[in-house]
Amino acid sequence: MGNCFKSTSNDDISLLRGSDHHDSSLEPMPFVEPPPPYRAQPEPQQRMPIYHPSPGVSRPANQLSEEEQIKIAQRLGLINHLPTGKYDGTNKKAKECVICMNEFMFGEQLRYLPCMHTYHKECIDDWLMRSFTCPSCMEPVDAALLTTYQTS
Amino acid sequence: MAGLPRRIIKETQRLLAEPVVGILAVPDEANARYFHVVVGGPSQSPYEGGQFRLELFLPEEYPMSAPKVRFMTKIYHPNIDKLGRICLDILKDKWSPALQIRTVLLSIQALLSAPNPDDPLDNNVAEHWKSNEKSAIEQARQWTQLYAKSNTVNSH
Repeated sequence: MGNCFKSTSNDDISLLRGSDHHDSSLEPMPFVEPPPPYRAQPEPQQRMPIYHPSPGVSRPANQLSEEEQIKIAQRLGLINHLPTGKYDGTNKKAKECVICMNEFMFGEQLRYLPCMHTYHKECIDDWLMRSFTCPSCMEPVDAALLTTYQTS
Repeated sequence: MAGLPRRIIKETQRLLAEPVVGILAVPDEANARYFHVVVGGPSQSPYEGGQFRLELFLPEEYPMSAPKVRFMTKIYHPNIDKLGRICLDILKDKWSPALQIRTVLLSIQALLSAPNPDDPLDNNVAEHWKSNEKSAIEQARQWTQLYAKSNTVNSH
């Protein structure tokens, strides 16, 4: 079963590629690992990812309307434009992720919002799929994204 | 059921170790997502001297969705209805995972200090507030004496 919503590239790699980055989704995925050994089909109902087409609404991917699917795909695209990085302890301001309330650990994947607030990638991505705002300052992320594009 | 997220454990520990003045929140013995809450009526409000019991529940999705909070003690307030439901933006569309149990309860306490009859949940109370504020405040004060005194057993 195809899943259109799965991100095709690792964020770090796409950032490193910089300006010569091209749309890898149009090309076949390079083989990173050999395919997993054959296993019986897992129950599709349990494996179906849950999406939140609007705040407070949770639905499995196979029950979304076309409109909702487009909205979610666009949101995923926007989220993937936001820079990520690994925590290296140099940012003295951000020490704790306010979403999970755990301290950042060396090597953990972080995501930086345009307002300069930082979270665990996993924590903030979950939130941004529901509401495209910064949890700390409530700044709409898309407006800030546009400003960054216009000034750079 | 999945284990209790570390965030809930942390928040609970902090709530018990450094309680907010005028607010008591204790997790239920049988359900760590359910809190028994007592909020003191703010001074210089018609709720002054009252001890208001609330229930707070952290849904499975917390902190991605807001806690569910309800007044258990009867209260005369334009933004709180007969069932104890609260009209407060951060419990609905203005929720953010950066908010916590602590900040939610502080916001509810602030709502007691600043009733907003222009965004009512209970229309009758709001009408009373707008048409005769003095009399509405007096009624709120009476209800506080009747239902929110800590030595009385109050129930809905």
